[in-house]
Amino acid sequence: MDLTRRALLKAQAAAAAAAAANVALPAKAQNIATGEDLHLQWSKAPCRFCGTGCGVMVAVKDGRVVATHGDMQAEVNRGLNCVKGYFLSKIMYGSDRLTQPLMRMKNGQFAKDGEFQPVSWERAFDEMASQWKRVLKERGPEAVGMFGSGQWTMWEGYAASKLMRAGFRSNNLDPNARHCMASAAVTFIRTFGMDEPMGCYDDFENADAFVLWGSNMAEMHPILWTRVTDRRLSHPHVKIATLSTYEHRTTDLSDMTLIFKPGSDLAILNYIANYIIRNGAVNRDFVEKHCNFRLANTDIGYGLRPEHVLEQRAQHANDAQVSQAASFEDYAKLMSEYTVEKASDLSGIPKERLEALARLYADPKTKVMSLWTMGFNQHVRGVWANHMVYNLHLLTGKIAEPGNSPFSLTGQPSACGTAREVGTFSHRLPADMQVTNPEHRKHAEEIWKLPHGLLPDKVGYHAVQQDRMLKDGKLNAYWIMVNNNLQTAPNTNNETYPGYRNPANFVVVSDAYPTVTAMAADLILPAAMWVEKEGSYGNAERRTHFWHQLVNAPGEARSDLWQLMEFSKRFTTDEVWPAQILDANPDYKGKNLFDVLFKNGAVDRFPLSELDPAYENHESKAFGFYVQKGLFEEYAGFGRGHGHDYAPFDMYHEARGLRWPVVNGQETRWRYREGYDPYVEKGSGVQFYGNPDKKANIMGAPYEPPAESPDAEYDLWLVTGRVLEHWHSGSMTLRVPELYKAFPGAVVFMHPDDAAKRHLRRGQEVRVVSRRGEIRSRVETRGRNRVPPGLIFVPFFDASQLINKVTLDATDPISKQTDFKKCAVKVVAAAMADAGEQP
Amino acid sequence: MSRECHISSLVVHSRPDRVASVVDGIGAIEGAEVHGGEEAGKLIVTLETETENQVVERVNAIQLLDGVLAATLVFHHFEPVPELE
Repeated sequence: MDLTRRALLKAQAAAAAAAAANVALPAKAQNIATGEDLHLQWSKAPCRFCGTGCGVMVAVKDGRVVATHGDMQAEVNRGLNCVKGYFLSKIMYGSDRLTQPLMRMKNGQFAKDGEFQPVSWERAFDEMASQWKRVLKERGPEAVGMFGSGQWTMWEGYAASKLMRAGFRSNNLDPNARHCMASAAVTFIRTFGMDEPMGCYDDFENADAFVLWGSNMAEMHPILWTRVTDRRLSHPHVKIATLSTYEHRTTDLSDMTLIFKPGSDLAILNYIANYIIRNGAVNRDFVEKHCNFRLANTDIGYGLRPEHVLEQRAQHANDAQVSQAASFEDYAKLMSEYTVEKASDLSGIPKERLEALARLYADPKTKVMSLWTMGFNQHVRGVWANHMVYNLHLLTGKIAEPGNSPFSLTGQPSACGTAREVGTFSHRLPADMQVTNPEHRKHAEEIWKLPHGLLPDKVGYHAVQQDRMLKDGKLNAYWIMVNNNLQTAPNTNNETYPGYRNPANFVVVSDAYPTVTAMAADLILPAAMWVEKEGSYGNAERRTHFWHQLVNAPGEARSDLWQLMEFSKRFTTDEVWPAQILDANPDYKGKNLFDVLFKNGAVDRFPLSELDPAYENHESKAFGFYVQKGLFEEYAGFGRGHGHDYAPFDMYHEARGLRWPVVNGQETRWRYREGYDPYVEKGSGVQFYGNPDKKANIMGAPYEPPAESPDAEYDLWLVTGRVLEHWHSGSMTLRVPELYKAFPGAVVFMHPDDAAKRHLRRGQEVRVVSRRGEIRSRVETRGRNRVPPGLIFVPFFDASQLINKVTLDATDPISKQTDFKKCAVKVVAAAMADAGEQP
Repeated sequence: MSRECHISSLVVHSRPDRVASVVDGIGAIEGAEVHGGEEAGKLIVTLETETENQVVERVNAIQLLDGVLAATLVFHHFEPVPELE
């Protein structure tokens, strides 16, 4: 029996893998075991982790998630699962899970310098509301702020946006996605007038060449990488080119590996544009019909504090976003400076390799998919880098059709769905609308059934600015949800932590675990996570997917959605809106904010009887209506008929996600191309309809150097990033013992020659020092990341080694996204007494 | 703690010209077994281990074999040993 059962299980395991890989096994394939005999209830959900948007099947037994496997029916991952997704069932069950509100107290009262003590939700919200009211009264709406996340469900982001903008009348709402893909999002709008990629993951099976700009897909997007691998191995003509500042696992399969000096990607991109122009590879017909040319303002600074010498010296630090209309000739003239010699000098890449790369883009028969993530986005010229890659695809007409695809990957599960589509950036409203546009605000006020003139017109504080304003005492009531900002913000010791502990401020953190950020707060609210609530995410290919609540949250933990809506009940319109608006709209006088925002006849439109009886739904039962459906349907009203169409709510509980625009029940795989996109008019071929003239912008910009480069004293480049087993700051994944063990402490990846030069040996404890701060770590000269001389790589997940004490808070001046990839450091041996012992 | 038996499976993408050496390399890893897929360069591999730690360790070991492009988990089952032995 034992051996038979063991063999049977193994056969089932092999059959599952064979089915996922589409491989026929020599032995007779077995059917996969169903959960029935084991009393497991299986339901679908998207993975909680990255922006890929894999489908997983989740098994619940006795109110607990006990197993997960890749969803065979999910188009994204087709049954595969990466290491993070594999242990998903464990992320909710860490032993230090927060289960009740905790407030800093002394003598039974809130005290900024008190110790954390458990309190009731009632007590927590009482204190929080009185602090909010005090700040609103004394300092006004601009002193209230919120830092959210691309890990919020879409309705959580939407509810937060309503509460902040319409309730408290402040645009000081920003998601941590600002650190992740603001450069990508901003450039989509600047180029196409509409956010998010035109293509989709189906491009993987249609491209002839993949060009990875600074993306380590093998580790960061392993499931998508298997699709690239599949394509490469089954079609021998397919080429993979990887550009990076160091070698990593992705370079193993690459046909071309181009290791460049940090920041020189701009020169390489412009060189390729120049090559295309000089070799007659411009698709003249496409460019004339579908493109405009513009030249960007140059010398735009580095998004540091205005008094910084680099900002003082920059000519266009204050109008970095401005560009001028130009001609093809103007653009070609700027590009002509970027000869292969210049690009090779700046990047350190041999000329022949640069030419080989340029040929991929220039050859009209090669369908190119360009892929990028943080390498481009966390860049002091991130917006320009994004523009420059679109320029290559637009010049050659290689865009918006199967296989020809500039594709911005994302890092968070709902960076697209929540941060971008719903509009949780400090400058945005739902469906790509902008807070500074009076028409857009009016439209939002109409859909939200709010008085005209209520919504604030001033762009709020972005992520890095929020930290600075907290420190400076100008932002005083602050709520952080689903993110670990103290660990992930740049230059954190000097610019982030001081603001949290500033006595003028009251800081609230909602999280499932006691992160370093939560521990620095004044009030901690315990959050429900993932399948403890009904949710919705939007992935990198415009795919919107839903899941049901499958288990209850532990103790008194509550979803962010419940927290936002319940907190709104603590306010009346008289307390938060100006008398002028209330006098002009007397119907709104003395109303509870909850009634105005959520019980407004739209959000509360769907009764509890529409809930699926097979699943729990805590928020709906608490508020008495189908909350998620009401929020989603009200929100969907912004985009339907405008190219952002979502399917009806219920469809998403059935489908494995659908890519918007969903028109007449059909998803859209390639936008802007006739035959694929219903919004493109017949006979036009291509229309970039996000812009009024239906043309895309080719934006010329030069190479400009990074904010800080190595010098005699700080003689190394520091690059930070992630490793496969850990996701971002590790709040969740470090709770899974298996993942922690696989990569327990951050190390400094260093070239053996650099180590020898400094008399350091592998495993030795060192100090990584910048002008801003230092950490201790250990030298690693081997392993998966092979850095070139002159550069070190440090992963950023380890709370005991906060590399962001060292990084520089320089941002892209246009997108305000931080550059975590380029600053100057030195590495020295730690004190002799400390050295020597292996961990 | 009582002993457990973990059975899991993965798809291992290999360079076509290195399939033979990758198969040998996987064969040398304790509890790992190749079930096929050599022709497609996508090896179907099962792991039999006593802990989940070992699952991660073995997957890492496989990923670091020369010629391996990607190793992806698909299936995981575990139960206490008494049920099996």
